[in-house]
Amino acid sequence: MVLIGFVNRLLIFALLLVITFYLPRLLPGDPLEVMVASEYTRGLNAGEIQQLRIHMGFEGSWLDQLAAYGFGILHGDLGYSFRHAAPVADIIIQPLGWTLFLILLALPIFLVTGVACGIEAGRQPHGGIDRFLTGAMTLLASLPPFVMAIGLLLVFAILLPILPASGAQPLFPAQGMVAHALQILRHALLPALALAMHEIVRFFFVARSEAISLSTRPFLLNARARGIYGVRERVDYYGRNIFPAIASRLSDAFSGLISGALFVEIVFSYPGIGLVLYKAIGERDYIVIQSTVLLLSVFILGFNWIIDTLVLLHSRRG
Amino acid sequence: MAENRMIRPVQVKLIVLFTLGLCLLPAVVYFLPGYQTSLDTLAAPSLEHWLGTNDIGQDILTGLLIATPNTIGIAVIAALLTLLLSIGVGIFVATAGRKLSGLVLRFIDILQSIPSILLILLVSVWLSPGMIALVVLLVATGWYDDVRVLRAVFLRELTRENVRYASIGGESGYYCMTVHVLPAVSPVLVGLFIQHIRRAALMTAGLGFLGITDTRLVTWGSMIQDSLNYLYTDAWLWLLLPPTLVLCLFLWGCLTFGQRFERYVMTGARLSV
Repeated sequence: MVLIGFVNRLLIFALLLVITFYLPRLLPGDPLEVMVASEYTRGLNAGEIQQLRIHMGFEGSWLDQLAAYGFGILHGDLGYSFRHAAPVADIIIQPLGWTLFLILLALPIFLVTGVACGIEAGRQPHGGIDRFLTGAMTLLASLPPFVMAIGLLLVFAILLPILPASGAQPLFPAQGMVAHALQILRHALLPALALAMHEIVRFFFVARSEAISLSTRPFLLNARARGIYGVRERVDYYGRNIFPAIASRLSDAFSGLISGALFVEIVFSYPGIGLVLYKAIGERDYIVIQSTVLLLSVFILGFNWIIDTLVLLHSRRG
Repeated sequence: MAENRMIRPVQVKLIVLFTLGLCLLPAVVYFLPGYQTSLDTLAAPSLEHWLGTNDIGQDILTGLLIATPNTIGIAVIAALLTLLLSIGVGIFVATAGRKLSGLVLRFIDILQSIPSILLILLVSVWLSPGMIALVVLLVATGWYDDVRVLRAVFLRELTRENVRYASIGGESGYYCMTVHVLPAVSPVLVGLFIQHIRRAALMTAGLGFLGITDTRLVTWGSMIQDSLNYLYTDAWLWLLLPPTLVLCLFLWGCLTFGQRFERYVMTGARLSV
């Protein structure tokens, strides 16, 4: 099973590779002209263009081109952006770090809040707390990630300017390590919150439905009769039994988090991979877009393979 | 007992009326002054412009009247086509031989682990899709999520006594499908349909917000995107709020209607629209 999962993901990656390869070549016109048509490359003569053509892998049969493209990517050569005059790998590595930082910050927020609310609601299905929480979560689920982000930005950074509105750190960062870290954290707080909000809903509904079915089980009735309540009931009795369902949902949450980060980073001008992608879309910098999408897909596929494997191993233990 | 319930004609009529109303909106727009630029930029709501104007002097209300049928229309059409495709594949997988259906299901496994937003991004950056291309993209990335559910539902219904009895009695496959199977699975289909509308509206708005759909296609998302630069002025009140409210209201409506519908199918509670 573990191996099948891996092969599946390898196949998907190959598929994406082929799509990124063929899309520019399928469109009418010369892909080279589309890809580098900009004021930066206008003054080239025929010889230079021919050289560029060879350099960018537009020479030879399509199969040769595909092989060269694939091998280049496997060796970490993601291409060269003329707009930034830099290899694509250099452009996207640092932003990727910021995005992962945001996701790591959002992770505990949505896991704890979502699962805790879900357990609370599922303990007494259709009770007062459940109706209130479910209603609130339904409302929250109706807000697309960018609306949530704009709302938070508007309220906490513009109308009540208590948190920074954009960027990952001040223009002139503080000198001390601790002070700098605090500044970074302050800047990341709103984006991470916006990112987490979206996922809270997902985990709330998973935890709630699991908790509802647990609530009818004899071992819980027994525990309650023995006087077990409060934190212990929620963590040891509900939490532990909900864990596998949460873990398996986490594997597809990563894909949602990445697409959420895309919107959140645009709204907060957070220098993560989403902003890079957005700017590249605006500038039609196709090479950056392709490589970013490929890199992100590797992250997503790798992450959900790891989680799936862990869930499988956990369930095998029984 | 949670017994399957058929859909009452009243609800069908309501849905049809709603859709018709949406189709009529473009006709209303036809009689309005067009979505034209003017010198009246960033004007606050007034008698002349009920919801104000944006940074290039376009009337926000007119924009909303154009964006609403665009967004909902794309969502509804995409949802319908997605459902038709997944029903087709679902029936095929439920009736085909073990090997063939195994192969299709495995292919679907593979498709399901592709993060669809990345795929859509990749393709739409090259195509900058208008309405039709957008619908095609949404259908292409949405149909495979339902096939497993539909396969299970169709397998259950196809092995029921009434279907067997009818087919032994010499009725055609088409008759069995339309008279016995499809009405029985209709609640599931409606549930999936509502989910798909929600997903497609969300995606359309999201892509509009990213600015990768055709710039001539006005959607709620593109209107929200336009307002981003004016968050620091008072203009966000009339630039941001109207499209955001309409978008969220629509998504909320889909969600709550879906939940109510589910409860109605499961327990027979009254379905109030």
